[in-house]
Amino acid sequence: MSTSTPTTPTKKRSRWDAEDDDDEPPVQASSKRRAKSKQAKSETPPVQTPASTSTPPPVRPEPIRPTHSVYVPPRTLHPALTPSRSVYCYERLNAIEEGSYGVVFRARDKQTGEIVALKKLKLDEEKHGFPITALREINALMTCKHENVVNIREVVVGDTLTQVFIVMDFIEHDLKTLLTVMPSPFLQSEIKTLMLQLLSAVAHCHERWILHRDLKTSNLLMNNRGTIKVADFGLARRYGDPIGVGGLTQLVVTLWYRAPEILLGAITYSTAVDMWSVGCIFAELILKEPLFQAKGEIELLSMIFKLLGPPTAASWPNFQTLPLAKTITLPPQQPPQLRQKFPYLTSAGLDLLSRLLTYDPENRISATEALQHPYFNESPYPKHPDLFGSFPSAAAGEKRRKPFDSPSAPVRAADHKLLTDFDDV
Amino acid sequence: MSITIYPLASLSQIEKTPSREDGIPPELEEDLRAYGCKLIHEAGILLKQKQVAVATAQILFHRFWYVTSMKQFGIGDIGMGALYLASKLEECPIRMRELINVYDLLLQRASHTTGSTSSAQQYSDFKYVPMSYFGSTFYDLKDALVVAEMQILKRLGFNVHVVLPYGTLVNYLRVLGLTSREDVCTRAWGYLNDALQTPVYALYPVPTIVSAAIMLTTRHLGISLPSSPENRWWELFDAEWEDVWSVCGYIMRLYRERDAEDQKRLWGTAETLNARGRTAADI
Ligand SMILES: Nc1ncnc2c1ncn2[C@@H]1O[C@H](COP(=O)(O)OP(=O)(O)OP(=O)(O)O)[C@@H](O)[C@H]1O
Ligand SMILES: [Mg+2]
Repeated sequence: MSTSTPTTPTKKRSRWDAEDDDDEPPVQASSKRRAKSKQAKSETPPVQTPASTSTPPPVRPEPIRPTHSVYVPPRTLHPALTPSRSVYCYERLNAIEEGSYGVVFRARDKQTGEIVALKKLKLDEEKHGFPITALREINALMTCKHENVVNIREVVVGDTLTQVFIVMDFIEHDLKTLLTVMPSPFLQSEIKTLMLQLLSAVAHCHERWILHRDLKTSNLLMNNRGTIKVADFGLARRYGDPIGVGGLTQLVVTLWYRAPEILLGAITYSTAVDMWSVGCIFAELILKEPLFQAKGEIELLSMIFKLLGPPTAASWPNFQTLPLAKTITLPPQQPPQLRQKFPYLTSAGLDLLSRLLTYDPENRISATEALQHPYFNESPYPKHPDLFGSFPSAAAGEKRRKPFDSPSAPVRAADHKLLTDFDDV
Repeated sequence: MSITIYPLASLSQIEKTPSREDGIPPELEEDLRAYGCKLIHEAGILLKQKQVAVATAQILFHRFWYVTSMKQFGIGDIGMGALYLASKLEECPIRMRELINVYDLLLQRASHTTGSTSSAQQYSDFKYVPMSYFGSTFYDLKDALVVAEMQILKRLGFNVHVVLPYGTLVNYLRVLGLTSREDVCTRAWGYLNDALQTPVYALYPVPTIVSAAIMLTTRHLGISLPSSPENRWWELFDAEWEDVWSVCGYIMRLYRERDAEDQKRLWGTAETLNARGRTAADI
């Protein structure tokens, strides 16, 4: 791309700098802006007012500020249009991990000294402009801001059009690494806290019509204050949108956490796929290792059938309508082995787990429902996050990590097929 | 439901737009914005693109000119980039080649119109010359499109979240007990769509714009709504009078009469700026 680097830096940088200079504390700034707003507007009245509306505004006493509905934030709460800053605003520290899609670095904000994580998006060889998957990732992060979703600070750019970085708060651990280095598993009280956090993040995303589609322990970050942050929205997507000719892709969710309806080729699926993954994560927190460590889809299905008993017309009425249902032979009926697998889990805990690992997506528990589950209201109660111990952070290079191998998320490029066949120029 | 905060131009961005700082008169900027939006709209129709994508593109287009001068990029290129990007955001992506062909046609037609004198002549003898598949025009436009999409993203800080007003309109009309009046719904809906040609969606929150559309509609149809000082209907929607009034002004200005000379001058300028923008972006 010869047309890339151009024009921006000097102008944009100076605009950015200028803006930084007159930064004020938000409270002050907002009252000032409001005052200015009135003034500015009275200076430029509409040039030409239509006859039908030309009655002058009714004279009225000093306006009483309307009490604002929470659904209508005051104008001052809307952020200004803000161009991307340069990646050179950050000093690169160490590489955290090379994921399947991008590289993640630890970095320091040169102005504030804050430590952040920079995720470089893979943008080369794009035939269709900026990749839709990267757009979804950025949008999902911006739309789903929540205490338990990793905070996106901004998106910065490098020298060429192919260098784009998501800047996030740096979070010390990911759950997968933690689980492998922890000497003993999480306590039930800790698991309850983590599950409540995870469920409230997932409920929040689903309320905003976002499916994560890649929930797994390596995408759950955790800080030293016992707080989980859902990360990696690289496969996220809005649901309820038109789904295109081929339907939704089956190339989502890392194998071990993939819901049975996706395995069986469903082309429309919804929030329930995330809930299945949550079930797998719940089990993993208890077991301290992934629940279904299958090598392929067939093995995974048979592991699921073994643990839960094969699906029946009663447990999954629509099973036979799924595209791949006919291609597999169900094993003979056998009782579920969930209880044997989790001998120490209370019956409430087991009930929650089995509602998450329910075959029929229509019947699978939703995140909002799960938050109300009796499991969280029985002793031992959820532990306060502050009481969690802290661990050396592998991501900060404090200790070498030795993660067990897990399959990685499906290659995102495959998602492009969704865009139907494109021009080949 | 959830509150989603979308960006709006700040006061300093409104007072000194980059184009104005670059010496482009405010009226011309306003006209070029409207013209660029018309092109997006027409391209959307030719491409049979969904209205949500077209509306999103128009709003991104307006936001862009609060952070970039029209001397730097052409309204044609940015419009094309906005439509391409918005189509992805709305999960109904379009093919680059089709978009480029459509824009090429629209721009050819516009330059034809600029050259001829009477409006009857304008459409009758216009012949579209499709560009050659291997010619350089296509590749030039393709580069321009890729650059435009990326520039929109960069200059808006990748915050391309857009909230469209239609759902809000339906809610408000219900609250005001006006849903049964088809004339009200249609007219207010029309104002909201026309408003897409003006910058208001980059300037005011959706409730304010919807209130303005209802204001214009009810005044036009002679429907009275509570507006005594202690009971003003727009305050129900957290809109402020000055803002509603200003949005009404933006919309009404779209309908003022233009003479043919004015039109020609505008389209001529649009073309020169577009060409100039293209070269600037290529450096
Ligand atoms: N905000 C952050 N703070 C600290 N570490 C992070 C952060 N974001 C990501 N990481 C680390 O980088 C890894 C990869 O990040 P992420 O999952 O977003 O990228 P990816 O390439 O999409 O991953 P995947 O391997 O799942 O395809 C995470 O597992 C985590 O270890
Ligand atoms: Mg990941």
